[in-house]
Amino acid sequence: MPDPHTTTPTSESHHDLVTGFDPAALLAAAALPGAGHFLAGDRRRGLHIGAGILGLYATGIFIGGISVIDRKENDWWFIGQAMVGPTTFAIDYFHQSQLKEMTSSGVWLTPDPSVSKYRRSIGKPLDIGILFTAIAGMLNIIAVIDAGFPTRRRNSSF
Amino acid sequence: MTTTLLAYTPFLDPLNIESWWYFTLIPLAFFVSMAYKAVRVQSFDHYWRNVLMMTIQIVLGIVGLGLLMFLLITQIMPRIAAR
Repeated sequence: MPDPHTTTPTSESHHDLVTGFDPAALLAAAALPGAGHFLAGDRRRGLHIGAGILGLYATGIFIGGISVIDRKENDWWFIGQAMVGPTTFAIDYFHQSQLKEMTSSGVWLTPDPSVSKYRRSIGKPLDIGILFTAIAGMLNIIAVIDAGFPTRRRNSSF
Repeated sequence: MTTTLLAYTPFLDPLNIESWWYFTLIPLAFFVSMAYKAVRVQSFDHYWRNVLMMTIQIVLGIVGLGLLMFLLITQIMPRIAAR
């Protein structure tokens, strides 16, 4: 185990010096984008990762509405969206239980604007919203792996 | 027939982007660059410059691929099919 007090001129945090497996950081990153790096001491990196991934996720929901997170209608895309963390499950639970209107046989009712709580997304807004949120989930996989298996970073030219 | 208008609620209702959906490529490229560079860079000294460069590269790349596909479908494919 490397000495945690050892630093190099180019290193920004202890996290950069540690190789191996950091389960706490991995779980934190899986729970909330950027939290893994933040917990490991690389706070600036964690904040930027979180802002990027959550910004992409929020933009997707802003564009497409809450309809983009739908475990029953878009099950394969939901797998990608779920990689962002428990946030997706919470939003889906709210969507399914509080907003969607379906018959007991599972047929979607066209929302009556006078009584519906929201407008369901279709077409381009739905497609783009799903794309944004799914890509956010896939980016978080990279962040989770980087948080859980920290390595020395090369000077990034790309 | 009475048309009832439902007030727009952010994050619940979708935006009307049917006529300008292609501009959403810009925030997509920006946030992807932001997250990716945050993982990759060793130092944050030139972080935002790296993010800007990657964003521009993604946007130009996607636009270039779109133009390529447009030329392929409208110019090259008809000539191949006509033979």
